[in-house]
Amino acid sequence: MNGERTGILEWLSRRLNLTEIFSLLTSFGLFYAEVDNRKPLREALGEALGRPSQSYARGPRILGLIVVVLIAVEILTGGLLALYYLPTPESAHASVSTIMRHVGFGWFVHQVHFWGAQLLVAVLILRLIRFLVQGVYRAPRELVWVCGALLLLVCFHADLTGRILPWTSGAYWSGVRALEIIAAVPLYGDVGMFLIGGDQASISELTLIRSYILHIGLFPALAVLFIYLHFSTVRRVGLSEIAGEVKEVGSDFLRNHLANLAILLVLVIGVLVTLAVLVPTPFLEEADPFSTVPGVGPPWYLLAPFGFLELSSAVLPSWAAGTVLLLVFSAFVVLPLLDRTRPRRGAGPLTLGLAVVAVVVWILFTFYGARVA
Amino acid sequence: MKRNAATMTNALAIAALLVLSAPGVGATEQCGECHPEERVSFASSVHAREGVGCTSCHGGDDTTLDSQSAHRGEFRSLSDRSEIPGVCAECHASQERMRPYNLPVDQYALYQTSRHGMAVAGGDDRAAVCTDCHGAHEIRAADDPQSTVYGRNIPDTCGRCHADAALMEPYGLDPQVTANYRSGVHGKALLDAHQSAAPNCTSCHGVHGGAPPSFGDIDKVCGSCHEKARRAFLAGAHYEGMLAAELPECAACHAHHAIRQIDVAAIASSCSECHDQGSAQVLLGEKIRTLILAAEQELQKAEERIREAQRIPLEVEDHLSRLEEARTYLTEAHPLVHTVSQEAVEELTRRARSIAEEIQHEIYAELDRTVAHVGLAGFWFYLIMTLAILWAYKRRLRRGKSGS
Repeated sequence: MNGERTGILEWLSRRLNLTEIFSLLTSFGLFYAEVDNRKPLREALGEALGRPSQSYARGPRILGLIVVVLIAVEILTGGLLALYYLPTPESAHASVSTIMRHVGFGWFVHQVHFWGAQLLVAVLILRLIRFLVQGVYRAPRELVWVCGALLLLVCFHADLTGRILPWTSGAYWSGVRALEIIAAVPLYGDVGMFLIGGDQASISELTLIRSYILHIGLFPALAVLFIYLHFSTVRRVGLSEIAGEVKEVGSDFLRNHLANLAILLVLVIGVLVTLAVLVPTPFLEEADPFSTVPGVGPPWYLLAPFGFLELSSAVLPSWAAGTVLLLVFSAFVVLPLLDRTRPRRGAGPLTLGLAVVAVVVWILFTFYGARVA
Repeated sequence: MKRNAATMTNALAIAALLVLSAPGVGATEQCGECHPEERVSFASSVHAREGVGCTSCHGGDDTTLDSQSAHRGEFRSLSDRSEIPGVCAECHASQERMRPYNLPVDQYALYQTSRHGMAVAGGDDRAAVCTDCHGAHEIRAADDPQSTVYGRNIPDTCGRCHADAALMEPYGLDPQVTANYRSGVHGKALLDAHQSAAPNCTSCHGVHGGAPPSFGDIDKVCGSCHEKARRAFLAGAHYEGMLAAELPECAACHAHHAIRQIDVAAIASSCSECHDQGSAQVLLGEKIRTLILAAEQELQKAEERIREAQRIPLEVEDHLSRLEEARTYLTEAHPLVHTVSQEAVEELTRRARSIAEEIQHEIYAELDRTVAHVGLAGFWFYLIMTLAILWAYKRRLRRGKSGS
C-alpha cells in the first residue's frame, strides 16, 4: 500500500512539480511555511518543517483560518445554488423558491450560504479588531492589515450583491437602501452606480444580472486574491507574535497543526448547520418595485453609515456626508500609513483610544440606523 | 406658398371653431340680446347642443329684436309652474323625437303617478315640477357630473326642498331626511367613499314616479339590491312577525334614510331593542353572533398560519384556494343572519370553520420541525465523535513527544 503510493507520487513527480502545487495550497491556509519549489516534495517539506514555527490554528489566529474555511463554504454552496438559480427579475424569485421547496436539501444549502456570509462578515470584523488591539498593522505587517480591510470591504459587497439575488421584497428594498448609501459616496458611488446599472433609488433588470455577475465572478476572485496576498506576506514576514508562545519543529508539529485545522473545520460546520436549521432566514414574497415595504433597512453591517446619513441629512448636504464616509473608509484601509509609531507590542494608547471611540461611534450609529430603518 | 397654406388652414380652423362653438344658437336667435342671463345658462345645456332653441319651449319669434313682435303669437312665459310638465312632455313623451337619443318616453306618465305629480295636478303649486330638479335653462344630461340629477348630486337636489323645514311643515314631512341619509351607510358610501354604485334618493323612491315605499313593500325595495338578505328575511320568522306587529320590515332594524349596518359583533344588542334582555330571541342573536365571529377567528388563524408557512417557504397554493372557499362560505353566511335561524347560519359557518381548522392542522404538521431537530442532534453526535477522535489523536501526538 505504502509502496504503491510512493510509486504514484514518484510517477507524478516526474511529470508535475508537486512541490509547487503544495506551495500553492499553503498559500491558501493549508499550512504556513516557505517551501523551496526547486526541491522534491519530501525534501522541501522536511526542510520547511525543520524550521521552528508556530501553528496558526490556535489562539486568536484561528479567526483568519475561520475566514478561509467560511469562504470555501461560500464558494462551495454558492456553486451548488448557481446550478438552479436564474438571474432575471421574472424568474429569480421562482427559481429560489424551487431551490427551497423542491430541490433536495436546497433549503439547507441556501441557509448555510446565507449564514456563512453573515458569519464571514462578523468574523472579519472581529479579526480586524484583534489586529488593531495587538498592533498587527505595524511594519512589517502593513499588508496584513490592508489585505484584511480590503477583504472585509469585498465581503460587504459580496453579501450586498448576494442579498438582491432572491428578489424578495425584503431583499429588494434592503438593496435599495444600500444603494442609497453607496450613491451618496462621491467617486466610489459614481463608479458603483455605473457598474451596477442603477441610479440612486432603483434597481433595474440590469442591476440583478450585474449583481449576479459581480457576486459570482469579481468578488469571489478578489476575496481569493486578498487571501493569497495575506498568506504571501505572512510567509515573508512571519506570523504575528503572541507572548509566551513556543515555536515548534518537526513532522509531529505538522500533524498537530492539521488536527487543529480539522477540529476548527468541524466546529465551523457545526455552527453553520445549527444556525441554518434553528434560525432559518425567512423567504419573503416576490419584490414589487412599485410598493415600498415599510421598515426595511440596509443590511446590518451598513446600518451605521445609514444612520449617519440619516442623522446628518439635517445639517450636511448629501455629498458632504458621503465625503465623510469616503474619508472614514479610506483611513480605515490605510491605517498602517497613518499610525507609524513603533511600540514594542500592541497598539499605541492614542491609536487604541481612537479605535475604541471609532468602534463605539460605529455601534451607536448602528443602533440609530436600526431605529430609523 | 407654404405661408399661404398655413394661413388658409388657420382661417378654416377659426371658422370651424366659430360654427362649432354655438351649435343650435343660430344667427337668427336674438332672445339673448334682452335675456343675457338665460342665454348664458342655456348655452351650457344639453338642449343648446342638440339644436333645441328658446322658441321650442317658449314659442314667439326669435328672429326679431323688437320686444313686441318677439313675444307675439303663441308665446308662453311658463310662469305658471303647473304648465311645465306638459311642455316638457311635448318632446319627452314623443317616441318619434326621443328615439334617436334612445331616451325613455314614460317620464311624464310616471310623473303623473308620483306624489309630486299628483300634488301639482291637485292645484298645489309648491310641489316639484321638472325644472325644480333638472333646472330651467341650464339642463344638463344626467351623466354630466355638473348636472343637478347626476347620482352624487341628487341628495343635494332633493334636499333643496326636502331639507327646508318651512316648506315640508304643511305636508308633515321630516326635513331631516337628507341629513339622515348622509349619516347612513348609503350616504357615506356615495358621498364620502365616492362609490358611484351606492344608492341615492331615487334608488329607493323611484325617479320620476317618486313615492315613499309603502309598508309591506320595504323588503322589496331593499331586496332589489340586497337579494340574498331579502330571500333570507322572507324565509325567516321576522317577516310574518313584523307584518303582524306593523313593524317596517328592514327599516325596523336598519332604520330608514340613516341606514345603519349592524356589525356581527352588535347583533345581540340590536335584538334587545325589541326583544327583552335575556329572552330566547336575544340569546339566539348571541348564538348567531358567536357562530360567525368564531368562524371569522378561525379563518384569521388559518391565514396567519399560511403566511407563516409561506415564509419558510412551504407549498401553500392548495391551502390558499381552500381558504378562499372557506371565505366564500362565511360571506354566504352573513345574509343568512336575516333568517334569524341558528341552523341556517350554522350550516355555513361550520363548513367555513372546519376548512379553516383543517388548514391549520395540516400546516401545523408541516411546520413541525421535530425531524429537522432530531437530524441536527444526530449530526452533532457525529461531529462530537469526530472531535473526540481528533482530540485523542492530538493527545497521542503530545504523549509521543513527551515520551521521546
